[in-house]
This record gives sequence, structure tokens and C-alpha cells, in this order.
Amino acid sequence: MAAAEGAAMIELNDLTVRFGGVTALDAVSARFKAPVSGIIGPNGAGKTTTMNVISGFLRAQGSISAFGTDIARLAPHRRSQWGLRRSFQREQLADDLSVADNLQVILDALPGTAQEKRADLAQALEVTGLAARAQQLAGGLNTFERRLTDVARCLIGRPRLVMFDEPAGGLTQDETHRLGTLIAQVHGLTGALVLLIDHDVDLIQRLCSETLVLDFGRRIAFGETRAVLADPAVQAAYLGIEEAG
Amino acid sequence: MSTTLSGRIGVALALMAIVFLPMLIGGQWMRIFTSTACFTLAAAAAAFMYARLNMVSLAQVALMGVGGWVMLRLNHGTALPFEINLLLTGVLTAAISVLLALPALRMRGLYLALITLMIAGGLEVIFSTYRFPNGGTGFWGVMPSAAAPFRRPVLAESDGAYLRYVIAVVLIGFLLIDLHRRTRPGRAWAMIRRSEAAALASGVNVTAFKAWAFALSGLLAGLAGGLLAGALGLLDPATFRASESVLLFALSVVGGAQYWFGAVIAAALYRVLPALFNNAGIDPNLTLVIFGAALLHAITTAPDGIAGQIMGVFRGLTAWLRPKGRR
Repeated sequence: MAAAEGAAMIELNDLTVRFGGVTALDAVSARFKAPVSGIIGPNGAGKTTTMNVISGFLRAQGSISAFGTDIARLAPHRRSQWGLRRSFQREQLADDLSVADNLQVILDALPGTAQEKRADLAQALEVTGLAARAQQLAGGLNTFERRLTDVARCLIGRPRLVMFDEPAGGLTQDETHRLGTLIAQVHGLTGALVLLIDHDVDLIQRLCSETLVLDFGRRIAFGETRAVLADPAVQAAYLGIEEAG
Repeated sequence: MSTTLSGRIGVALALMAIVFLPMLIGGQWMRIFTSTACFTLAAAAAAFMYARLNMVSLAQVALMGVGGWVMLRLNHGTALPFEINLLLTGVLTAAISVLLALPALRMRGLYLALITLMIAGGLEVIFSTYRFPNGGTGFWGVMPSAAAPFRRPVLAESDGAYLRYVIAVVLIGFLLIDLHRRTRPGRAWAMIRRSEAAALASGVNVTAFKAWAFALSGLLAGLAGGLLAGALGLLDPATFRASESVLLFALSVVGGAQYWFGAVIAAALYRVLPALFNNAGIDPNLTLVIFGAALLHAITTAPDGIAGQIMGVFRGLTAWLRPKGRR
């Protein structure tokens, strides 16, 4: 029972997505157990498609098991209520809502007392350093603050799986470092497993102990990040280094 | 719950209108302003759908027609008081609005607008074919010549009192929209407007909250139609043509969908301006030319409409008047 319900693990089994004649994901399987795992690959490799399948935005063959729950059976909004959080490549905050309301909208759909929700929201704003901006409209935030709001949205409501899709896009080196530090805290603060897509290999190496590498919708490597990045097939496909022989 | 200066001014103006407006006008203007108040509520419903969810509903006046029909039918078919009839009218129109919108709930943009326009077209055919109840027998309740009298609220039987009554209901409608904007539905709608993916990722049941928006918009349109029925006693199918729904939506954009007074401006353009033209001996149809030019202006240079421009001037003035050190 404990193993079925509580196994802190995200398992993708033979995920396949086809758009007409194009196979965007080709029988991708992986078992993520690390607090933070990476998904890397060249453009068009299927990274965001994988996240969209886990989110329920795309239909796929195969199964997705998270903490023992077959989340592929849940409607997309139910997955959020189950504990799935995600950010998008282009952040999706509602500009006409305050920072706090951009978080509150997630809590609205969850059970719990108003007091518990207020405390949860206050903690997420505190951790991300947004407490002073809580009542400011999201439309008035800069790029980094918007990314921080995205992270805060991923911290609230007892998340179980948090997915960041290129969260460092458009950020400076210093901002990327600060964002990385926050992402590294997510598991400790919430207990959620984190999946991270980014092109910044330094960020992936710093945060992710496991990494899945995709190319043309196929899994070409999965395992401990250092070993994966040293894999000649990965270097050939992703880092542009030719495979010896 | 915090209030904005614009909101406080709105409530104050509505209260002043309730007290003073009927004292200042008379005759046909009393009826024109009552009708304007009814269309203000319908325009506010169209505007909130557009401003909060980016959904274009081109069936608002047609839904008013549904409200008018239900109100007349209840008035002539039952002995219930006006208030109960009005409430039932709002609830029934809300239910019909959701029912009609069901096929459109998964649609966005142009397709959603076209479906609502087709709904308006369908209702136009029904209204023209079966007319509005006037005290006759049977389901449609239409008798060939004379019409039975309409029972207005006990508190508001005269034209002046009825105008006050209508403004009060319109004020309640505006407060209801504002209550939604500040609470869970408003947050969910803002996320849907940002993107449906963002809403789903936030746990928002997109279909349910879109249906809720149609229900609220139907409720307000139903109340508006019911109040219009009370103002005129008898309704004409020509009032609820599909083209009128398109025109009211266009004027909501011209008035400014983001602000409460945009709906007031829209309804004033829709009802008061043609009456002014008429009084001045100018063909009221010329207002359509002005509306077309105003819509072009709004689309190209003033996306927040006339209300947005007024707010811009207001913000500029307050910044200018503020002491230099605090700017």
C-alpha cells in the first residue's frame, strides 16, 4: 500500500505522441526518482511535448504514474488539484491579477481553510521574496519577478510534481543563479519531485542528479546527469560533438 | 473588501440618479432613460464577457428578448409579484443562456462569436414568428389585437418611480459583476483570458467557469429584458434582432469594456443619441455612421474605448494636481 501510494517516483511508460505523420514522442520511458531531474535535448526533441503530455494538454499512448497514481486518467485541471504544478516557456501570469491572486487562483480549486491557504500563500511569497509585491498587478512586474511568481505558484497547495519549462529563458546569469537556488529548494520545502527543462547545461548539472535526454522524440539517454552528459551519443546529438568512430 | 475611487463614484452617481434623475426629466425622456438603463445592464454583461474572458457574445440583446418574453409570460400567466417574476426571469434566462452556449464552450475567438450570432439569429426568427406574450392563451400567450395590462412593482407604478427602480436593479447588477471580478470566478476568468493552458495548469475547470460566465451574462440580460418589458408593457420583435446584438456589442467596445461606465456610455449611444437626433429633426439612422466611425476609432487608437480615454485624462489630471515632490 505504502509502495503503491507513497513511492516518490514519476514513471513514464512508452509515451508516444503523433502529429499527423510526425512522431513527436516515440515510446519514451523513464523513471524519475531524484528530487530534481532534468530533461534536455535539441529544439524539437520532444521536451515540452513530454511536459504537455504529463499536464494533460496532449493525448498520448502509454501511461504516466506519479506517486502510484495513474495521472493520465485525470482531466488536466484535476492533475493540478492532484498536485501537479508547472511553468511555461513563456510565463502565463494573468496581468490584470495581483501577484497574490495569481497564486490564489490555484488555491481556489483546492480543499483547506481560508487560514491555511493564507499561510501557504504568505510562505510562498516569502520564500520567493515577493511578499512586498503581493498586491501589485502582475502586468507591472519585470521578467525576473514574473519568473519568481511562476516559482511561487509552483510552491503552493502541496505540490507533488513540479515541472519547469526553460525557466531561465531571458534571465541574466545572476538571475539564473538565484532562480536555480530557489528551484533547488522546492523539494525540501514541499516534498515534490521536480522536472526541469533547460538549455543551460550548467544549470542542469548544478540542480539535476538525473537527466533524460531526448532527440527526435526518442530517449537517447537517461541516468545520472554527469554520466549522461559524458555519453558520446548525447554529445553528438545535443552538444554538437561528433561521436568517435 | 477594498473599493476603487471609480467604483465609489459609480455608486454615488447611481444613487444621485435614483434620487434626482426622475425630477429633472419627463415625458418621452423618462421612457428613453428607463430603456437606456435596461440596455446598460445588457451592455455591462456583454462587456464583462469581453473584458474578463475575451469572449465575444453577439447574443446579448437576443437574450434580453428571452428575458422580456419570460417576464411577459409570467406577468400574464401568473399572479406572482413583479419581483418574483423578475427573479424567475433572470434565473430562467441564465439557464437558457448556458444551454444555448453549451456547444460553444469549447470554442474561442471568431468561432464562439459566430455561434452566439447564430443563436441571436435563431431567437430573432422565434420572436418574429411567435411574437411576445400580451395576455393571450396557450403557451405563446399572444392574442390578436389588444394587450392585457402589465403589472409593475407596487413600489414603482409611475414612470418616475419605475426609472428609480430600474437604476437600482442596474446598480445591483454592476455590484454583482464586481463581486465576481474580485472573487474566485474573477480569478479563474483572468487565467482563462490569459490562456486556457494556464487556467488548466492552475486547476481551473475551464468549461465550468465559461458556463458560469454565460450564466451571469444571461442572468443580467434576462433582468434587463424583464425590466424593459415592465417599462413598455409590450415588446416588439424588432427590438431584439440579431443586428441589435451586434450593435450593442460594438458599442460596448466603443464605450470601453474594461470600465463600468463604458457600459453606460454604450447604452447612452445606443438609446439617447438616436433620440437626440430625432428631436433635432435629423434621421436617427445617421447614428449608425457615427457608431461605425467610433468603432474604427476604438479599434485603431483607443482599445479601452471612450471610458479608457476618460480614465487617461483623469489619471493625467490627478498626476498633474499632485504636489511635485510626491510625483
